[in-house]
Amino acid sequence: MWLTIDDKQIEAHEGMTVLNAALGAGIYIPHLCGHPDLEAVGGCRLCSVEIEGMTEAVPSCMIKVEEGMKVTVHGSKAEKTRKTAMELILATHPADCTGCPKYGKCELQSMYQYLGVGPEKWKKKTRTVPTDDSNPLIRHLFTRCVRCGRCVRACRELRGVKVLDFQKTEDGVRIGTDGNISLKEAGCKFCGACIEVCPTGSIMDALGQISEDVSYAEGVVPCRTACPAHTDIPRYLRYIKEGDYEKATAVIREKLPFPETLGCICSHVCETACKHNELGKPLSICKLKRAAAASQSDEWKKNRKTAAPTGKKAAVIGAGPAGLTAAYYLAKKGHEVTVFESNEKAGGQCRYGIPAYRLPDEVLDREISDILEVGVDLKVNTTADTPENLLKQGYDTVLIATGTHKGVLLPLEGNNLSGVQLNTDFLKHARRGQISDPGKKVMVLGGGNVAFDCARTALRLGAEEVHIACLESRDNMTASIEEIEEGREEGIILHSGYSFLRITGDMKVQGVELQKVDKFYFDENRKAIIELIEGSQEIIPVDHVIFAVGQAPLGTEKLGVELYHGSYVKVDSSFSTSLPGVYGAGDVVTGTKSVIEAIAAGRQSAIEMDRYLGGDGDISEELLEKETADPFLGRTEDFGSLERLYPSLLDPQERKKSFAPVEQTFTCGEAKCEAGRCLQCDLRLNLTNPRLWNEY
Amino acid sequence: MKQLQTDVIVVAAGLSGLAAGIAAAENGAEVMIFEKSNTTGGAANMGMGPLGVGSPIQKEHMISLTAGEAFRKHMYYTHYRVDARMVRDYYFKSGETIEWLMDMGVEFTGVQRAFSAPEATRAYSDGEFTWHVVKPEGGGAPGPRCATAMTKKMTERAKELGVKFYMETPVVRVIKEDGRAVGVIAKNRDGEEIEARAKAVILATGGFGDNPEMIKEQTGYEFGKTIFNFAIPGMKGDGIKMAWEAGAGHAPCTMELMYQLPDNMNHFILDGAFRQPCLWVNRNGDRFMPEDQIANTTFTGNAITAQPGCVAYSIFDSKLLKKYKKKGPDIISHVHPHDLFDHFDDQWEKDLADGYEPICQGDTIEELAEKAGIDPVGLEKQVEEYNEMCEAGFDEIFEKDRAYMQPIEKGPFYCCRQNVGAYGSVGGVRINHKTQVLNEEAKVIPGLYCVGTDACNIFGDSYPFILSGNTMGFCLNSGRIAGEHAAEEAVEY
Repeated sequence: MWLTIDDKQIEAHEGMTVLNAALGAGIYIPHLCGHPDLEAVGGCRLCSVEIEGMTEAVPSCMIKVEEGMKVTVHGSKAEKTRKTAMELILATHPADCTGCPKYGKCELQSMYQYLGVGPEKWKKKTRTVPTDDSNPLIRHLFTRCVRCGRCVRACRELRGVKVLDFQKTEDGVRIGTDGNISLKEAGCKFCGACIEVCPTGSIMDALGQISEDVSYAEGVVPCRTACPAHTDIPRYLRYIKEGDYEKATAVIREKLPFPETLGCICSHVCETACKHNELGKPLSICKLKRAAAASQSDEWKKNRKTAAPTGKKAAVIGAGPAGLTAAYYLAKKGHEVTVFESNEKAGGQCRYGIPAYRLPDEVLDREISDILEVGVDLKVNTTADTPENLLKQGYDTVLIATGTHKGVLLPLEGNNLSGVQLNTDFLKHARRGQISDPGKKVMVLGGGNVAFDCARTALRLGAEEVHIACLESRDNMTASIEEIEEGREEGIILHSGYSFLRITGDMKVQGVELQKVDKFYFDENRKAIIELIEGSQEIIPVDHVIFAVGQAPLGTEKLGVELYHGSYVKVDSSFSTSLPGVYGAGDVVTGTKSVIEAIAAGRQSAIEMDRYLGGDGDISEELLEKETADPFLGRTEDFGSLERLYPSLLDPQERKKSFAPVEQTFTCGEAKCEAGRCLQCDLRLNLTNPRLWNEY
Repeated sequence: MKQLQTDVIVVAAGLSGLAAGIAAAENGAEVMIFEKSNTTGGAANMGMGPLGVGSPIQKEHMISLTAGEAFRKHMYYTHYRVDARMVRDYYFKSGETIEWLMDMGVEFTGVQRAFSAPEATRAYSDGEFTWHVVKPEGGGAPGPRCATAMTKKMTERAKELGVKFYMETPVVRVIKEDGRAVGVIAKNRDGEEIEARAKAVILATGGFGDNPEMIKEQTGYEFGKTIFNFAIPGMKGDGIKMAWEAGAGHAPCTMELMYQLPDNMNHFILDGAFRQPCLWVNRNGDRFMPEDQIANTTFTGNAITAQPGCVAYSIFDSKLLKKYKKKGPDIISHVHPHDLFDHFDDQWEKDLADGYEPICQGDTIEELAEKAGIDPVGLEKQVEEYNEMCEAGFDEIFEKDRAYMQPIEKGPFYCCRQNVGAYGSVGGVRINHKTQVLNEEAKVIPGLYCVGTDACNIFGDSYPFILSGNTMGFCLNSGRIAGEHAAEEAVEY
């Protein structure tokens, strides 16, 4: 069908509105109540045009196109209607644009710029409505509302959540919930569609919700942004909710090769960032990932791509999460990759640091074999040559990813007695089955997760009484709350807020003397200051002591690259060491961090190394077709109050006898239910951004 | 990463960025503008119009001020502490820039000096008619925001010239290679990085009025405590930081001072009602300037800064209020409504009930002082002295205009705290008269330009109100200068 708009012939489909036909043909007509994803209602009059045969200007969003129709956008009648409409809007809109957070991103601002109207023509009457900050995540500043109704239509029709509506009040019509109840009580799903479609600063994200340091999309979906590997969390949670574990796994695998490992032990910073924290507890993202990955689907492999051989060779020193991740992506880019591992098995700290009751061998073995499958050559029990020599031997690039395998021994009286051990050695020997007698009474010194790993391992190896002592108070311990709680259930005796004075004994450990800490803080020079309570000394009788107070790189002084802080490998922003062609990633560079950070570093270093080898550095992959998420959410009563689910744990008395996994995987029902709590923060990014006049 | 290539990159599409983009494109360069908002015009959307000297409008009105005279005045005002060559080039271009805008279709209501008032109290009585106020497209009286009509015309002109706009795509940093600026890294709405390369990069991001940390760091003021400036959202100092990171020299930053009430746009009636030559005192209750000067927002802002706690108090009594209501205010500014006192009672009652913190009312001077936080003894003494001088008909202290010697004697008394305000920041990046960025050794960083507020180092310590319209004027003209030079460099390169 053809019609004419301002002397321009344009094609349109039957049933289209004049407004959409014009916009589609690149002709701008201002509009406020209209939005590309919503049905227009003809309320704002800004889209008025003249149509041949009609005496008055008419809103173009309400008129369907007809064959041969003649439309004039810039006629005098239409212009007058539009300007008057804008002047009336501005007459009740506050003039304090400078204080409005929407400044510069406001559709109303853009539109009055386009219409060039002055605000001074009408007697101004600002309708003051108190700002409502009482709801989580969403802020209502209805003084700025122009009553276009986009939010109401987005909430009711597009999302089907039906929370917002026009409400009649003494001061005129405003937007709100029926009965003026809170959004949570009204069944709001906090999807943010109302915020997204609002053309002014009336409905905004609550203060501090959107980080200004990242892009808009990153700010809107904080879990994905917080994840060091940027896994598309809302997307895979949607698949889990539908029970589609295959697709969920594929989504995770687009960003990392260790989904189940992470599902077991990830430090899940995503959960800290989850917007659900504002409503109650965050989504159980980590455990949902485990549920999906434990299904062991191989579907994702169908779309896995490996580039043609490039003829380049890369050596990776260390088969931990950083090294293996880098190796995986380098191999997929067509490079010949050899991984050198001095231990008898690959996995690094995932195997020799994290006990099997948290991360079973089978899980690691399975995920490592998927990595080797793309053509990575793993040489275990092999100490790599120096990077320089590797380059001489024909490798084009080398990655140092040897982690931190050297436990730290505190300068404490008695630290040389028999029965004193280091965290790293103890856990490694335990994993290898080399510890027959862990001692009867064991004291672990340290307050992190590794301290608990040591303590709970000692318990499982047969120790009768296990203590943990640390400087930090319980609330300031770096160990996760789950670790502390599970340790307590298993009978670990925790002495938090104690300083270690000395290890007592002659030749063998007989005890540890502790003293209660009064204050522990860092002064302005970031020096640790410990103030003790006088007379609170006590000796805990033990026969073994394990130091779990940190760990450092082992043997890096022989690598021939520049180090910092003693033994850490120094790299620049592109992961490059002081030796050209030699890269560094993971704990050996950053100090002991999480597995997910090591994996993210593995990815980043692979990108840099691929570029160094002449590739494009593009390791992104699509393991499943991009779907469009259903914009319709529908109502769920009490959505905002749904409780977080927790996976069940083995009975403490049972579990402490063996290395069987403590935590069970979510059942399919549990997982679907928990994933259903996701706010789907990413959904609002699918809404079309209205094009403003300056984009035509 | 997406790769782009062009001749000239402009960072931000505010007034100076648009001017730079248009000028570069008119001179044959291919131009890309990256803007973090979705609207063009930046802070200029709140403004009213630019300075021009020797424009067709001035000639029509027989305003004979020449660019050379304006230059001399400016240098005299700033005591030659600023770059004379930059100032000279700016004024000599400014008249033609008005013509340039008119050719784009921008209309001006006329030309003004800052504010008009009776001769003796006139805010800028020695000011020149240099302020070209933009005419709203659909008619109506010009007021705050009327410069949007200019932004629109400029945006249209830029598009017509083929300038490519990348909206909601903030630039993260300048790429430098071998000491030369060769492009920028930008990040779009979805977080995708873009590497754009060009022969010249022009930074034009509008200062740091919306960055309290930077205000503290660079000027010592504390936002919301010692200064209540316009914090136009988005003015984070991006360009200044980027320039410094790329090796630019530091030019001293200042705040473009004036004074106002906190959150003044929401209390605009009171903002105007108390901007009267009544009794003005500091926290000790002492007068600190002849009140007939308070319409000069620059001087008064400076004076308030010099008072304890950076605050002042404007006080009138019921008799004076009655007079204002009946005869109108003593001073009518250009920005406040003329019928201020018709709305005074409504706004006063409402704000008093809401607990709007800068205002108070008292039946006695002592009560007023206590509520306002002024030293009661000091204020009582001052009021007594002031009233005696009113009776005698002469201000022995400051020789304030006799017409305004109106006593403060009949309760209830009204008081409004006045805070230091600012339009935003000025200065930061060291440039030469071609707007090329200089390093700390005053050597040019090839390929890098900085314009507008980020590089407005010509004001010295105060806004040169004697030649009004200077903020926008400098943005437009420095932008044009940069665009022309960048295009020349890009074509030669």
